[in-house]
Amino acid sequence: MDNKIEELLPFYALGALTDEEKELVEAYLREHPEARKQMDEMQSASSALPYGVAPVEPPRRVKGELMKRVSAEVEARERVSKQKQAERPRERRWASLFPAFSLGVATVAVIWAVVLNVQLARLQNQVSLLGEALVAQSNSLEEINAKLPQTSPAVTVSLKGTEAQPSAHGQLIADQGSNSAVLVIAGLSQLEAGKTYQVWLIDAGGPKSAGLLTVDANGQGLLIVTSDLTIGEFNALGISVEPDGGSEQPTGEIVVLSDL
Amino acid sequence: MRLRERVAFQQVSDETLASQVARGDSGALETLYDRHASTVLAVALKIIGEQTAAEDVLQETFWRAWRSASTYRQERGSFTGWLFRIARNLAIDAYRRRNVRPQTVLEVDEADSLLDRIPDPDSNVAEQAQTALMNQRVRKVLAGLPRAQRQVIELAYFYGMTRQEIAEATGEALGTIHTRARLGLQKIREELEKEDFEGTDG
Repeated sequence: MDNKIEELLPFYALGALTDEEKELVEAYLREHPEARKQMDEMQSASSALPYGVAPVEPPRRVKGELMKRVSAEVEARERVSKQKQAERPRERRWASLFPAFSLGVATVAVIWAVVLNVQLARLQNQVSLLGEALVAQSNSLEEINAKLPQTSPAVTVSLKGTEAQPSAHGQLIADQGSNSAVLVIAGLSQLEAGKTYQVWLIDAGGPKSAGLLTVDANGQGLLIVTSDLTIGEFNALGISVEPDGGSEQPTGEIVVLSDL
Repeated sequence: MRLRERVAFQQVSDETLASQVARGDSGALETLYDRHASTVLAVALKIIGEQTAAEDVLQETFWRAWRSASTYRQERGSFTGWLFRIARNLAIDAYRRRNVRPQTVLEVDEADSLLDRIPDPDSNVAEQAQTALMNQRVRKVLAGLPRAQRQVIELAYFYGMTRQEIAEATGEALGTIHTRARLGLQKIREELEKEDFEGTDG
């Protein structure tokens, strides 16, 4: 054994080395397991030293303060844990609601309902009636779903405009287990030439493009949203203004952003 | 903590209690506190020399034990060894911040300070019984140690003095200090084994 290092070992056990010396000893112990045993013995001797001092009974106050601190931390931990538990069902909502879903039937039904709704709105030619139209669309969907008892209903999520376009509103209608959904939107402004609306599905990894959205003269638009992942895996949907042809990532103003 | 829980905890080892603390069991921490707080406070008080600061170190030691019990590894030594190292390091830091040594090196030597105090007669609670026994054994072992060896060990452990500082303070050669520390620790270990001391490693 290295004589110099050997001289340091007792002082390492006593916790009385400089940082540099400590590093030397630790490196030495890593390379020489046989010295580890010797060190353990020395440390066991040094760890008995506190018993050489006559014990001093602490005032009750110290324990009271300690346990108060501990209880506060336990309570905080429990609060965080409860919050997490409360969030979990929300994450699983899609999965728990629709275990077995016939994608073909539902998608056709959904598109049919949406088209009806859009046609109705166009006939009325009144943007102010769009809210009612969307309600009607939801009712239609419910009726259709009621007529299809063997299948699960589609999920409908309300979409809201941001401060940039507060009048924007719409719905995303989807089967959580599929990779596609129908987006119907109204109240969007006409864009200047060279710009387009782009739809984004957002998960922990960030936004993923779900397609470009064209709106008509009434500010209404319809898009079959598609993705590599199932819709239920996303946390939010956003719509931004992008240059024609779309972007890899959102670059322009966000006009719609809603949790899924 | 309810009486039944206290009794249950008294039957388990420090190491088992430490693993319970690591899982967030505050009752286990309370039992460890009842067992070892008086030793931790004694060490802190000896190092710092001031009651309030020593009590702060006591609370901080057990708070750190609570927060980092999961880092304690039984295979690397006893729980008390781990706990006392936390206390000792905190106390030396606190002492250095205060920058006032409670005793001079000469006073340490003359007062024979490891042996100069008697246990508090009011500390006769169940958790303290084992501590009192260990206290008696270790004091006996230390009393049997050559004074020069005990002095080097005490200056290093309780005062955090380096080898060079001890050599300077005592006027001895560095080689002599090395030998005294090594022989002193060896003797403590041998004597404690003879005493069948259960509170140390291995």
